[in-house]
Amino acid sequence: MTVSTIPLDRTAPVGFSKGPALALIVLLLAAGLPLVTQDSFFIHSAIMVLFFAYMATAWNFLCGYVGQLSLGHAMFSGMGGYVSVLLFTTFGLSPWLGMIVGGLAAAALSVVIGYPTFRLKGPYFTLTTIAFAEIVRIWVENTDTFLGFHIKGAEGLVVPMVGESFAAFQFGGKIPYYYIILGMLALAILATLIMERSKLGYCLKAIRGDRDAAEALGISPTRYTLTAFAISAFMTALGGSFYAQFFRYINPERNMGTELSIDMALMSIIGGQGTAFGPLIGALILTPLAEVTRGYLGGTFLGLHLVIYGIVLMLAVLYFPKGVLEPLKNLAVGLFRRRNPA
Amino acid sequence: MYKPALKIAGLTSGYGDIRVLRGVDLELKPGTIVALIGANGAGKTTLLRTISGLVKADSGFSELYGESIHGLAPHRVVQAGFVQSPEGKQLFADMTILENLMVGAHSKRAYERRNETLEEVYELFPILAERRYQRASTLSGGQQQMVAVGRALMALPKVLALDEPSLGLAPIMVDRLFESIAKIRERNLSILIIEQNVFQVLEMADYGYVLENGQISLSGTGAELLGNSHLRATYLGL
Repeated sequence: MTVSTIPLDRTAPVGFSKGPALALIVLLLAAGLPLVTQDSFFIHSAIMVLFFAYMATAWNFLCGYVGQLSLGHAMFSGMGGYVSVLLFTTFGLSPWLGMIVGGLAAAALSVVIGYPTFRLKGPYFTLTTIAFAEIVRIWVENTDTFLGFHIKGAEGLVVPMVGESFAAFQFGGKIPYYYIILGMLALAILATLIMERSKLGYCLKAIRGDRDAAEALGISPTRYTLTAFAISAFMTALGGSFYAQFFRYINPERNMGTELSIDMALMSIIGGQGTAFGPLIGALILTPLAEVTRGYLGGTFLGLHLVIYGIVLMLAVLYFPKGVLEPLKNLAVGLFRRRNPA
Repeated sequence: MYKPALKIAGLTSGYGDIRVLRGVDLELKPGTIVALIGANGAGKTTLLRTISGLVKADSGFSELYGESIHGLAPHRVVQAGFVQSPEGKQLFADMTILENLMVGAHSKRAYERRNETLEEVYELFPILAERRYQRASTLSGGQQQMVAVGRALMALPKVLALDEPSLGLAPIMVDRLFESIAKIRERNLSILIIEQNVFQVLEMADYGYVLENGQISLSGTGAELLGNSHLRATYLGL
């Protein structure tokens, strides 16, 4: 068989060859950003964009590929944040190790939650994830001490300053944090790309496409969705740890509230769920929008930024049901073809 | 000792209170094609789904080369070697042909041999190699059926079950598909095929069973069945 000599047809995945190259260029440009500006507010905003892109990518790893909407992912973020902070303040364990421990704990929690919940379909799954996340949040808000750890309920935890130290995840300026979250995002997207081309990716897409047919072929939906759920929870928890270390403060509302869960889902959906780069695009659009509307309108019209958020979501669902990435990609491919007619 | 590729005895199952299968006995010799025919609603698809573990059997047993596959979860049945290409193809429309085929090879044993099996499938259906990056939904009905058969082959079945592969295909495509199925048998595979296309399938099959009201009412070689007056009157209108 000379399969390799058969010419690729028009619908061959363009992203397959050019995608990684393009991603590398974007990554290098992003890495060069601090050379252009050192402005603290700007770097802070960039870190927030990357943070949300990372969280949305972690969410997408499960929900985008399985086609189930989770609105409870913030509980994993909270778990990662609390575990790493508590291990640091109680035992002086480096947050780098603490975030791994938090990630593993979140992965274990996801399996416990996922096993019964994945039998539920559509809105029932979503409602259950909200319920679990709210139970965890309300419990943390009302618990002062647990197993000897001082959680301090709704008050939250402050990470004590120990001075600049890599091991303690504390740095002088914001730029090191920028590079850390950029690296985490790059790894998360890489993990998604690898998963897409692996057995796990094929099986998840099959389950999303037609659950009954997948089962008839002998694919066990529970096994593959749980694997993806655990990886997604692990990644989310790492993000939650980062958030806690970056602000040196953590509380149930910010680190495991419903708003964070919704943000993760919205950015994925608007960018393009089930694609490796969609969540990044979604975060690039929505995070600045949220910052600007909150900054300029939040003071005078309380809650207006949420209204604008909602309108953007409606427009996206109406006009770009598969997310913004796909039409953008088609546009780019179209321009490329016009300049290089085959 | 001789072991049948597939042996089913006294299989009963159904949905809720409704019994669809009421004691089915069936046997497949290794390397043969066995046709299962019957009217709509006779229970043909339910039989496949019961063997596959998608519908729970109430009683009876099923064995693959002497090993029980009775009561196993669907993915265990596939791992054991009973793989079906479901009725109506059930392709994953938004995935490419290559991805559809790869989904078939998800068990550990099949995954390790996936590239070799893929070459074999492409050899059997060259058009699939040509179009491997195309979405499954863009194919013609006949080509989609090829993907469905190829996807089942990717799982390295010992017994391949085809549920109405000719459904909705043009006569010329049916001929080609049957040729390919005959070729698959040469790979020392046993095939259980459900068909409405009674005349054509009995000409090709080594043996046939007729399912009526959830029970086997008639069985025999393809030629015997084609000569049977009851079968001719009921299914061929002769």
